[in-house]
Amino acid sequence: MDGIHDVGGKLGFGPIGITSDEPPFHAPWEGRMFGIVRSMARPSDWNVDKFRHTRELEDPVLYLTRPYFDQWYKVYACMFVGSGVLTVAELASGESDGTSPEGLPEPMAADAVDGAKNGGASFERPYDAKPKFEVGDTARARLITPVGHCRLPAYVRGHLGKIADYRGAHLLADASAHNEERSEPLYSVAFKLSDLFPEREGSTDQVYLDLWESHLENDE
Amino acid sequence: MTSWFRGCAVLLWEVGSDDPRQEVFCTKIRKNQVVYMTEYNAKDAEHLHPLIHSHVPSEPALRVKALETLLVEKGLLDSAAVDAWVEVYSDEIGPKVGAAVVARAWCDDGFRERLLADGATAIGELGIQGWAPNHLKVVENTESVHNLVVCTLCSCYPHRLLGIQPAWYKLEAYRSRAVRDPRGVLAEFEVSIPETVRVDVWDSTAELRYFVLPQRPEGSEDMDEQALAALVSRNSMIGTQRDLPIETGGA
Repeated sequence: MDGIHDVGGKLGFGPIGITSDEPPFHAPWEGRMFGIVRSMARPSDWNVDKFRHTRELEDPVLYLTRPYFDQWYKVYACMFVGSGVLTVAELASGESDGTSPEGLPEPMAADAVDGAKNGGASFERPYDAKPKFEVGDTARARLITPVGHCRLPAYVRGHLGKIADYRGAHLLADASAHNEERSEPLYSVAFKLSDLFPEREGSTDQVYLDLWESHLENDE
Repeated sequence: MTSWFRGCAVLLWEVGSDDPRQEVFCTKIRKNQVVYMTEYNAKDAEHLHPLIHSHVPSEPALRVKALETLLVEKGLLDSAAVDAWVEVYSDEIGPKVGAAVVARAWCDDGFRERLLADGATAIGELGIQGWAPNHLKVVENTESVHNLVVCTLCSCYPHRLLGIQPAWYKLEAYRSRAVRDPRGVLAEFEVSIPETVRVDVWDSTAELRYFVLPQRPEGSEDMDEQALAALVSRNSMIGTQRDLPIETGGA
C-alpha cells in the first residue's frame, strides 16, 4: 500500500542518529515484548506479512514517533483483538474476562527456547511453471499503486532494472498478508542509482531488491 | 463470523469510547465461555489501531505488562520462556555470532566459498541456523565493491547472526537515505568510499537476509580465528563500516 512505511528514497528525515554500544533492549519492557512474541501461542493464520501490513496501517504520526517495540505491541494488540482472542477492554485493564480461546497451540516452554533459537520458517515453495525472466534480462518494475500489502517499494516503480539472480519461488508476501497462499519466482533485481535519482547521474552505485514476478514486466 | 466481528470492531470505532454500547461491541464471540476465533484480516488494523490507542495505557511498560499478564492467565504464554528469550538475546545472540562467521571465512577459503554460495547451509557448520538467516545471502566486500544492507519497508535484519537491530537501522533517516545517497549515509558513519569502488546497496524486500563479509584487515596475517573475530564490528557486517582496525574493534 502507499503508506508511511515506504520510505526508500524519501528526503527530509534528518541525521541518522548513530549510536555505539547500544544494548539490545533499552528498557526491560522491550525485552519482555520481544520474548512474548517469540514464545506466545498464536492463531495458525497469522504470518509475518500480516504483521507487517498491520504495522503499516498504524497512524503515521505514531509510526514515526513511537518506540519500535511499542509498535510491536500495537501490532499484536490489533492482531489479538482482530482474531477474537483478546478484547480492547482486557488490554486496557490488564484483567482477563475469564474466557479462554479454543484451538490455540500450547505456548513455548522455557526449556524449548534453546532449540527454538535455531528455528524459523522457509518461504521457498515448489513452482511448476518456467520463470518468466532469466539472469541478465532487463525488466521494468511495474508502475502500480496497490491498496493492499506490497513489497515493491515506490522508489523503483516504473524503473528499469537488471535481473541479477534467481532466488527460487517464494511465497508472495503481497498475497500472504491477505490470507492467500501463492508462490512466485523471486528475483534479485539491480537498479542503477543513476536511473532512479537525478542527483546520482554518473554514479556506478546500485541497489538490489528481491522482487516477485508479479512486480515486474518486460521492457516494452 | 469474520464479517460479524469486523462489523463489531468498526461499530466500536464509530460509537466512541464513552458510548454505553461499547461494552457490547467489545465482547468476543463466545458460547459457554469458549471464545471463537476469527481469521485475522490485516485490513481491520486501520480501525483497530486508533481504537486500541485510545483505550490502552500510553506508557509502553504498562501496556506490555498488561499484555503479558493476560496471555499468561489465558494459558497462551509462559513467562519463564520470555525470560529465556531475553537472556539468549542479551548474552548469546548478538554481533559476536556474525563475527565468528566472518573470522571462519577469513581463515578457511572452502568455508568462505560455501558461505557465499549458500549462506544458510554454511553457517550450519558453526551450529547456527534459523531466525531470519533461513534465506541468508552473504555479500562480500572486495577492492572494487562495498556492500550496504538496509530494509526500506520495515526492519529486516539477520537476527541469528547480529542480534537485535540498533535503533538507527530501524528508523526512517537511515532507511530512506541508504538507497538514495549511500555515500552520504556512509560519511555520517565516518566512512569514505573511493570513487573507484562501487557501492552495492541491498534492500531486504523479501525473506532473504543480507550479511556483509568485510575484508580481512592488513596486518592480521598472524592472528588466529578467535583474535580475528574480536576485530569484527557489528557495523562492518551491515556495511556501515568498511575498514577494520587491528588495534581495537570487537563485536
